Amino acid sequence: MAAMEPGRNAQSVSRRAFLGWCAAASGAPAAVLGARRAEAQAPAPKKGGTLRVGFYIEAATMDPHLSGSKIDRQVYHNIYEPLVTLDVRLGIKPGLAESWTQPDVRTLVFKLRRGVKFHDGTDFNAEAAKFNFNRMKTEPKSVRKGEVASIDSVDVVDPYTIKINLKRPDAALLATLTDRAGMMVSPKVIQERGSELERNAKGAGTGPFEFVEWVKDDHLVIKRNEAYWNKQGGPYLDRIRYRPIPDDTVKLQSLQAGEIDVMDYVAPRDVAAVKADRNIVVVDVPSLAAFSYQLNTTRPPFNAKALRQAVAYSLDLDQIVKGVWLNVGVPANGPVPPSSWAYDRTIPPIKRDLARAKAKLAEGGQPNGFGFTMTTANIPINIQEAEVIQAQLGEAGIAMKIKLVDAATQLANGNSRNFDMISYQWSGRPDPDGNSYQFFKTTPGTSLNWSGISNPQIDALLDRTRETFNAAERKKLFSDLTRILQDELPMIYIVHPIEPKAFAPRVQGYEPIPDGMMRFKDVWLK
Amino acid sequence: MGRLVLHRLGATIPVLLLVTAGVFSLLHLTPGDPIDVMMAESVDATVKANLRRELGLDRPIAVQYVAWMGRVLRGDLGRSVRNGEPVIENVGRRIRPSLQLALLAMAISLLIAAPVALASAVRRNTSIDRAGTTFALFGICMPNFLLALLLIFFFGVTLRWLPVSGYTDPAEDLIAGVRSLVLPAVTLGLALAAVITRTLRSSLLEALTEDYVRTARAKGLSEWAVIRAHVLRNALIPVVTVLGLQLGTLIGGAVITEYVFGLPGVGRLVVDAVFARDYPLVQGVVLLIAAGFIASNLLVDLLYGWIDPRIRIR
Repeated sequence: MAAMEPGRNAQSVSRRAFLGWCAAASGAPAAVLGARRAEAQAPAPKKGGTLRVGFYIEAATMDPHLSGSKIDRQVYHNIYEPLVTLDVRLGIKPGLAESWTQPDVRTLVFKLRRGVKFHDGTDFNAEAAKFNFNRMKTEPKSVRKGEVASIDSVDVVDPYTIKINLKRPDAALLATLTDRAGMMVSPKVIQERGSELERNAKGAGTGPFEFVEWVKDDHLVIKRNEAYWNKQGGPYLDRIRYRPIPDDTVKLQSLQAGEIDVMDYVAPRDVAAVKADRNIVVVDVPSLAAFSYQLNTTRPPFNAKALRQAVAYSLDLDQIVKGVWLNVGVPANGPVPPSSWAYDRTIPPIKRDLARAKAKLAEGGQPNGFGFTMTTANIPINIQEAEVIQAQLGEAGIAMKIKLVDAATQLANGNSRNFDMISYQWSGRPDPDGNSYQFFKTTPGTSLNWSGISNPQIDALLDRTRETFNAAERKKLFSDLTRILQDELPMIYIVHPIEPKAFAPRVQGYEPIPDGMMRFKDVWLK
Repeated sequence: MGRLVLHRLGATIPVLLLVTAGVFSLLHLTPGDPIDVMMAESVDATVKANLRRELGLDRPIAVQYVAWMGRVLRGDLGRSVRNGEPVIENVGRRIRPSLQLALLAMAISLLIAAPVALASAVRRNTSIDRAGTTFALFGICMPNFLLALLLIFFFGVTLRWLPVSGYTDPAEDLIAGVRSLVLPAVTLGLALAAVITRTLRSSLLEALTEDYVRTARAKGLSEWAVIRAHVLRNALIPVVTVLGLQLGTLIGGAVITEYVFGLPGVGRLVVDAVFARDYPLVQGVVLLIAAGFIASNLLVDLLYGWIDPRIRIR
């Protein structure tokens, strides 16, 4: 089950158990925080109270079109609404769009919900939606450009219908529109406030909560939208107060001391202790993330496929996930996470095989081993993982140096392909396309394809995953892709982490969705 | 006195130029730029190039520096690349908690250090002295972050006397504000107290052996009167130096304490800005911190003259 009872004993999470939860999350009605299975009569939700949420960092911007930070989305999913939303099984359900049709592979028609108003009182309608898509495509600072690249134009059919004309078929677009690229911002606010929207989102959204104030590095407050269009369920909470608490230990202590009610993420080293604490409820949320290393295929040593394989066969993923991640995650077989409908459990993660690694070393012309440098972020869990990998490779005769860098340097090194092997921790996207296309497709210029892989077979497969709309067929394509990637190895996948969240027992009604976003519409305080 | 101030202000200009030019070049020589950080997910290289051009990041470093300096001279510190907020507003907001924290930490450190140092110096080589020295050693050796976590554990989580983290402006709510500042101020103050204790103890010991002290004692003054009138004032100069330097350090450099306690201070601001490669923000904060350092040093120099008239004459 995706939700845990308070006081559940700390126990390690096996791969099988994790896959079990993912299956549960995708096949059975998901457990909701506070709705215990044994309780036939759940207490009725009540209105009121302030929910205090602790985040590991500060939000970066309140403008979803300019946002490149995961933490921003946590706030957005309460004040803004996308055209379509995710359910607990990562299925797509109506959001600001009531329904949609696909007359042909290059056209997507959305019927928009009537009677929805932005918090500034203006109407949400087809013109507003068109305005948003145009802004995402043309605003110079837009970070959404890549996500809406397949959209050629948007037509207003009638006041509550838009037609999206695509440059090419894009089976992943609907899933993309469940997040920032589908979020609708009040055109009036954008026009009147301009760049101030980045710091002040008053009136900007349509969601169950309205932006109140943001005192940078101190708190961000949102309040209940009394005029929310959806009268079913919440919003119940009067207010939500987000606070950045950068230190993991202090954040946990804040929860234990009752200063916050929710923490967004429990670090693996704290999970066992937190689960043993009867005053804290932990919800293990399977994530969409894939943590990996990109190998630079454009220069030695990793332009030799055999040497990439030698590294992969030298690694013991089970040991890494057990020793470094303390089983708060599962070994990865590729880019698609177990929480996804496209995950293929018949493909095992690459197993350690030193004899095979040695053979690959010889095949790559380095029978006595070789040396290279790993570039990784200077944070504790990355350093631990790097050290374990260093030791494992050492046993195969591969000498790895570790270079620790900050995030900006890592991005610069990656974009300029100035690395041998570089860590890449991708938070994941609801559609497997978001975990694969931009990493492996041959593209000119900058992209997330830092490895420089350019393989016609992979390119063709990736294109087909966008042109195929049948889920079963798409799943098979992603399985094929995963198998090819296990052989080509532009990236070595290590772990699909679990992202546990912790709550005070008075918090009720939280529904964990594997994208890790905390939507508080139906959350209430006991 | 007026000449001293003028002279020192004149010396400020090359210092500020040197500091800002140094930081500017170091920052631009570090790999990565704000556009890479902002657009970590975007895949279009031309988008990034356009934005770089728009923000002037594609020009040579020297040209960028001169342009920045020109704006600063007109009183414009620019805007944050990350969120467009004017740098001056950002720093203005963040300097308050930093100043409050620094002053409270100093007050705490003096309250601890003065009696401990005095007792140590007067009762030299006794168990009181050894206890004082041990305390000072402990304060210097204890890492900030560990002390902070221990204080949080005892006073925040176990006893629940004080908040674990977060900040309230004492101007808005005095009690809540002071409560939010106590633990971080004690964290900083304890280490500072240790430094001051050692400095004050040794300068007291030195002053105690001076001829004028012997003369004062010979005149029949009580020991307390000797210390108060003759020893303490003469022993203060090194302490004022330490405090002056520490004020600057505490305002810009209490990064770890601000980080652990979630205080929105200047130290965290500049570190976050460096990680985001938010050039205008880093430059603005560094300029202001450097100016603050210079101002506190000037204040110290003026205080010297007040404490010891001989320095004023020179």
